[in-house]
Amino acid sequence: MTAIAGAVADGVLPGRVWLYSNYHCNLVCTYCLTESGPKVDRRELSADRMLEVAQQAAELGFTALGVTGGEPFLQPDMAETLARLGAILPTVGLTNGTLFTGRRLAAAEVLAGSDVALQISLDSADPDVNDEARGPDNFARVVAAIPALVERGVTVRIATTRELGDEADMSRLCELHRGLGVPDSDHVMRPVISRGRAVTTGMGVAAGMNDLPAELTITADGAFWSPFGATVHGGRLDTDLLLTRTTDPLRVPALTLLGLVEGRPAGADSTLNIR
Amino acid sequence: MSRVQLLDATTAPLTARRYYQNGDPGPLVGALATVPELLEVSMPFLAAVLGPSALDARTKEIVIVRTSALLRCGYCVDTHSVVALDTGLTIGEVHALRGEGAAVLADQRENALLGWVDAVSGGRGPVGDEVARRLGRYFAEHETVELTLLVGVTMMLNRFCTALDLPTSPEVVRRLAAAGLR
Repeated sequence: MTAIAGAVADGVLPGRVWLYSNYHCNLVCTYCLTESGPKVDRRELSADRMLEVAQQAAELGFTALGVTGGEPFLQPDMAETLARLGAILPTVGLTNGTLFTGRRLAAAEVLAGSDVALQISLDSADPDVNDEARGPDNFARVVAAIPALVERGVTVRIATTRELGDEADMSRLCELHRGLGVPDSDHVMRPVISRGRAVTTGMGVAAGMNDLPAELTITADGAFWSPFGATVHGGRLDTDLLLTRTTDPLRVPALTLLGLVEGRPAGADSTLNIR
Repeated sequence: MSRVQLLDATTAPLTARRYYQNGDPGPLVGALATVPELLEVSMPFLAAVLGPSALDARTKEIVIVRTSALLRCGYCVDTHSVVALDTGLTIGEVHALRGEGAAVLADQRENALLGWVDAVSGGRGPVGDEVARRLGRYFAEHETVELTLLVGVTMMLNRFCTALDLPTSPEVVRRLAAAGLR
């Protein structure tokens, strides 16, 4: 058993490795951690590179994968890539859910029955509130995509990112996702984190190393502590949660991360429920 | 203006943060911190080669300032001129090592040392017999090894700092001005 496998088995290190497939996006959300949009630097990982990382992650003893961006489904053949990643380790793919029409919706059928879940962002049961943060027609496109994916056998989770408060809206949102075929167990919520564009818009809660899960995160620019670490502000990559620029072999950043986690005083991690 | 972003205490990566605990660690760390795994190995190495060792501090600063002057690294010359003064070299000696004044190192041991430094930093082949023979009168073989590594590492830093146009810190500029070295 590797040191990583032991640490994951003991709960010292989270089992999931995140991959930033790309940083560009068809949306420009107000709280985006990575200042993503249609014209930003793409910072892409190729499908082959993601599969290499996944294979090394499995060999080291990690137990799950996550793919995020940017909008991963702007990458060609992302559904097929996710299916191949899911064959290596259970995988969650984050998406804004707005691109699942026509060819992309048909392509997503490859995920039916696979060990892949798509996690789609939906922030409010009120279309106006949701769309104010995520862009025009976002709500309508997402509530159309979710049942279409569920009907095709794709496992769908819903992620809600929001400022604290408005429990009544949250209750309506839960009713909505249940109606769309997504159970409560597949609905995750997190606060807005004050990084990336949220800094510019004055949103969110501050979160440092001890507030964020120590999930190894691989990007085109290096390895980071948590997917909330590989953020962009003012067009520049944030480096405060950078682990290493070296990502191959994966054991280099993995062991750096483990060293930091083991050096952290017991109980130092906080509970902002960021996941 | 540096060619790369110099990371400060707010942007320093996790494993680099300890270098910022006592204030600004300077532009060399600020540049290396952008590749934290290289900072992790290079700083202990540089400390071992440039810092306290079997060679006395005066000898080492003579080597560093002389090499840096020959390689025309303004950042290294400035920074180590201050270190040399703190080590006990006179302003006149520092001037001379910087190539700005007449040679004032009358000591034969130190002149043999300068001959070695000039030959290592400026030569293309093995150091000549006469230069080696003169150095050997005053320095043991293990010291010759250390001196040669010190010249080589200083040259590496000279090119790194010059190529990236690292800025001399304001405190060093102030000290140099007070000493009439800038």
